Order: sequence, then structure tokens, then C-alpha cells
Amino acid sequence: MNKRPLLAAAALLAAVPLALSGCSSSDDGADGKTTITFLSWTGEEQMTPILDAFSKAHPEIKVDVSYSPPVAEYIQTLQTQVLSGIAPDVFLVAAENKTNLIEGGHMLDLSGEDFVKNVEPFNMNTYGRDGAQYGLSLSSWAAGYAYNEDLLAEVGATGIPETWDEFLDLCEKLQDAGITPFLESVDQMPTTLSAMIGAKSHSMDPTLDDLIFSGESTFEAEWTGALTEYNKLYTEGLVSPDVVALDGDMVRDEFAAGRVAIINAGPWIINPVKEAAPDLNWSFGKIPAIDGGEPFVAGAASPGYAINSASDEAHQEAAKVFLSWLASPEGVETFQAQTGDVTVTSDFEPPVDPVFTTMGESIRNGELYLPMISWQRSEDVLNVEAVAQIQRMIQGQSTPQEVAQALDAKLAAS
Amino acid sequence: MSLTATATITRAKRRGRKAGWRQITASQAFLLPATIIFIVLFIVPLGQSFWWSLTDFTGYNPNPNFIGFANYATILQDPSMLAGLLFTLLFAVGTTVLITALAIPLAVQLNKVFFGRNLVRSLWFFPAIPSMAILGLVWRYILSPLDSGVVNSVLVKLGLDSVGWLSTDALAKVSVIVVGVWAATGWHAVLYTAYLQSIPAEYYEVAKIDGATSRQQFFGITLPLLTPAMVISTFLLMTGGLKVFDLPYTLTNGGPGFSTYTITQSIVVSGVGQGRYGLASALAVLFTFAVGILSFSQLALTKVIERRFS
Repeated sequence: MNKRPLLAAAALLAAVPLALSGCSSSDDGADGKTTITFLSWTGEEQMTPILDAFSKAHPEIKVDVSYSPPVAEYIQTLQTQVLSGIAPDVFLVAAENKTNLIEGGHMLDLSGEDFVKNVEPFNMNTYGRDGAQYGLSLSSWAAGYAYNEDLLAEVGATGIPETWDEFLDLCEKLQDAGITPFLESVDQMPTTLSAMIGAKSHSMDPTLDDLIFSGESTFEAEWTGALTEYNKLYTEGLVSPDVVALDGDMVRDEFAAGRVAIINAGPWIINPVKEAAPDLNWSFGKIPAIDGGEPFVAGAASPGYAINSASDEAHQEAAKVFLSWLASPEGVETFQAQTGDVTVTSDFEPPVDPVFTTMGESIRNGELYLPMISWQRSEDVLNVEAVAQIQRMIQGQSTPQEVAQALDAKLAAS
Repeated sequence: MSLTATATITRAKRRGRKAGWRQITASQAFLLPATIIFIVLFIVPLGQSFWWSLTDFTGYNPNPNFIGFANYATILQDPSMLAGLLFTLLFAVGTTVLITALAIPLAVQLNKVFFGRNLVRSLWFFPAIPSMAILGLVWRYILSPLDSGVVNSVLVKLGLDSVGWLSTDALAKVSVIVVGVWAATGWHAVLYTAYLQSIPAEYYEVAKIDGATSRQQFFGITLPLLTPAMVISTFLLMTGGLKVFDLPYTLTNGGPGFSTYTITQSIVVSGVGQGRYGLASALAVLFTFAVGILSFSQLALTKVIERRFS
């Protein structure tokens, strides 16, 4: 008597679609149009007007667009397509996939193209290596401190101080006045620490990360000082260690409700705060400086538009036309109107919300830093380790030096 | 026996064997599509994962390099992955024990006849409906360590200090387990309720006549006869607990530090998300073996207990 195999029932019940969604290789129509494929990171609602405008400017090129939301889903969708050899002609390169895409030779070098000349070099170099530039990054984001002007006025302050010691004094004054001085979400790399490290690196040549990743220096040597200064917020009792459980939305809501004087924030809070608290008097400021440096901001270049090196020449040329239009004044204006980003081309001045004016300058000048974008390999590995170790430091389970040492160990092992 | 009879019997046996082989071949042919699907969807990916675990596959290069057991060595030396393994085991065992201990008495109560019983059953079952990711996000706000958090605002109004439910290692682990227990107890209580309804009422009547108390009836009749349900429920809880990802990820993101990090988060975030498919595959292979050993051990143990009480 045959046994009924378990595998029959399991296999029948476990039928899973095999087909992957994705772009097929681009096809050219009989009408002489060249069709390029594009996997967009920006949503359809925002991207459609941009593509319509391109289509009007270049009717000879058709863009066959598909969408995948950032970040993890986009990265995985693109990775699957790259591995399968069906990657689109144009896609986005981001911090999470830039090392793999660069090392795999999957992107065309754009450094000699005319359309990158007006783009802020910081943005182009973010998605480049050894002089080559692979991603056309048209905008950047920045994060600093948002402060409640009325709460600061209660202790006689008019803005964020320029030095870190003065900032700690301000926090103490606010605390003594019964005001929660500062909250920062630590579910990601702290904005404060990113800006402190960035300020240091900005004044160095070679940069701090060049030294660490070439082996000439270590995280322990370069990061311990900033970590120690940052940790004073918690060792001096100015901020509760409970921040390790907060996310950006919780911190923003506390700020909008007027329950905290200063928070870490970026442009994404502007509309929610204005909607929740239209009468709140508030503004942005840079992160105060340590060690005699300059106030700085955290931030990074937005993902860059890249051209598939495996596409044929005709499609690569058509893709260059697309990128060239995106980087043109008309393209940047359309892009900015849809996304609200602070764009970084020299021939278009983007409108910036008045509360964000201070930060807008830093963005346009490329004076930004985010460890994960600046690191030269094992970015994600180090970022996960850094956030966890910083949380442990805030809880008092490790010292700043131990945090930096843990990063060195992680880099060595990866 | 005559030669003719022997020949007849032999021919009949041959015809019978041929007919038997035809029947076997026909039934195997019907199983072929399922077998192919099983091989393609299970065996091949499993083998591929094992192969990738021995390489430096990043997900972008179709020709990875063979590196032997280096990925396995990395895993066993990585504090975050070891932390993930420990918390995963704690979560699986903790939720299994707590849910079983709560769901059975709850099922006994839900099996009684009372006004609004169906509504009460629905309310207890409701947490099993939304996705665990949504529950994690909602509970993150409820357990916010700020004074404005839902739970803490009640404590503050009562004159107590707010509590960092998710901001200390111990409380974060407890919070994740408690939310997991809250989400699943109702579902398992409904499972036990179904089995309770199959227990003949005469057993309880006879026990009552013999003077057995409610407690004696529970431990002498209900619990032994619920053993098959407990086998199924605890198996589902253990395997589900070992695979947990969305609840800790959305509630605590594996923090603070690595205190609520799970193995699946290691696989998804550290491996797949960071383009280290070789490492993620090695972790998945180790995890598969661990889950297999635990699951089969648990099944063997519960079968022994079931036989004991049947």
C-alpha cells in the first residue's frame, strides 16, 4: 500500500507565484521612439508630472516607468533585477546599494557629461569613487535642531548657541525652568553626532573616513571625542535615557505640543508641525560646534539617477538625454515643485520655507555629513552596530570609547 | 499441486504484480506535478541557500566565490547575532508557556454559557486579526516612555512616575513578550474551546456525582483530554515564536542595543538588507537546523505526554 507523501499536500498548498515584477528590457517602437526603462524611487503621484514634462520636451524618447517604494523594497527589487540581468536603463543608487553597484560595475561613469557640471560636486561625489561619478543626485536633505522660540525666550535665549558648551548650559537653564530642554530620537544615527563628526571631517583633508577606511586611523581615534561630548547630555542628566525608545514621530509630536524646547529635525516635520500647531513660533538651527569647530548639520545627498552599464549604446544615450533634462533648469524646477526638495544645481534657486533658510544654505553648499553615506564599505553593517552601541552608551552600559572600539571591531570583521 | 494449477497460479500472480505496478505507476504519475513543485519551490531553494552560505554572495554577482565555512564562523563570533538567538529563544519559550497557561483557563470560561458570550469571544479573538506589524506600531505609542504615552499618562495622573517600558533592556524584552502573549492568547483560547466542546458532558456529570470539585474536574478531565489541542497549540507557538520578526521590529526595532534583536531580523536586516546574502543564508541554514531540532524534540515530548494521558 502506498503511503500518501506529505510532500504532495505541502507542495500543492504552497504554490507561490514565481514571476518577479520588473522591467523587461526596453523595446523601441515602430514609430522611431526610443523607449528607456526606469525604476522610480519617487512615488507615481510625484513622478508623473515630471515624466510628462520630459515627454513634452523630448517626444522622441519614451520612458517606461515602474515604481518601487524606498528603501528596503526598492533596494531588493533592483538587486533582483540586476542579478537577473533585467535591470532598467535608469535606476536610483542610494547609500544602501552604492558599494555593491559600484564594485559590480553596474553603472555608467557620468563624470565627463555636460549635465553634471552644474550639480553641486558634493552630491555627484557621494555616489562616486576614485574620480568617477555614477549617480546624478539633484537634491539633498539636512537635519539640525528645531527650536521653540517662545520656550527659549523664557530663559532669555534667542536661538541655538554656536558652541556645544553653551548649548549644554542652555539645556540646564531650560531644565531649571521646568521645561524639557531637548529630545532626540535614537532609533537611527543621532543627528547631533552626525553633525559633530561631519564638522570635524569637513575641516580635514584627507577626510576622517578616508583615514579610517584606509587603515591610517580608527573610529576610536576619530570618534571618541565627539561621542564623549554627545554623551554629556545623558551623563549630566539633561536628557532622559528613555530617548532610546523614541522615534522621530514621537519627538515631533512632543515638539508640536509645546512640551519640549529643542528637538532634532529635518524638513519632513515642517508640514506636520504647521498643521498640528499653526501658531507655534519655531525655527531651525545648526548643531553647535565642539572643539572650536563650526556649527554643522547632518544630511546627505539624495539618491542619484544612474544609467545601467549593461544597456546598449542607443539606450544609454537616450538615458543620458533623460538625465540631462532632469538636471536642466526646467527639469530641476519641475522636480522641486513635485518633491519639495532643496535642489543643488547652480542654475536654479529653489524656494525654501522661511523656517528652513539656515539649513538651505548648508544643503546648497554641500556642507552635510551622514556617516552611512560617507562610509566607504560595510555601511549598513556599521550603521546597525553604531545605533545599537550608541543606545547602550546612552543607557550607561558602555563608554564612548567602547562604542568606537566596537565600530573598529565591526569594520575589521566585515 | 498439479503443474497446470501451479502455472495458473503463477500467471495470476504475474498478472496481479503487473496490475499492481500499473496502479503504483498511475498513482505516482498523479503525484508528479506536486513532487516537481515541491522540488522546485523547496528543495532547490534550500540547496541554493546552503550553497550560498558557503560563498561571499552579495546578491549582485552571479558568480560568487567559495569561502567555506567562514560565514558560519562570523555568525558564531558576532555578539549581535548571538544576542538575537538568545532573545528569539526567550520569546518563543516565554510566549508558548504564558499563552498556554492563559489560554486554557480562558477557554474553559469562554466555553461556559453566559450573556454576551459570543461578543466576549470576538473581543478576545480580535487581536489575532490585525498584522503583528500594525500591532507593534500601535503598542509602541501605547508604551511610549514619555509622560504623554498612553500607559504613562495614566500612571502620571495617579501620581506615579512614568516607566521606560521600551527603553531598558529588561522591560523592553518583557514588553515584547507581553504584547505577543496579548495578541495570540485569544486565538489559542478559541482553539482550546473547540476541543473542549468535543469532551463529552457525561464525564463532568459523572465526576460531579462522584463529588469532584471544579479543580479536580479541570485537572482530572479537562486537562488530560485537551492534550491533543496542547500538542497542536504549543507546536504552532514554538515555531511561530522562533520565526518572529514583525512584532519586535516595529515595537523596538531590536533595541535598545540588541536586547530584543531576533534571528529573523539578523537574516533580513543584517544579511539581505545589507547585501550579505552569503551570511544571511548561513544564518538561515543554522536557524533551520535549530528550529527543526527544537520542533521535533517538542513533538516527541508532547506525543509521549499525549500517549500517557490518552
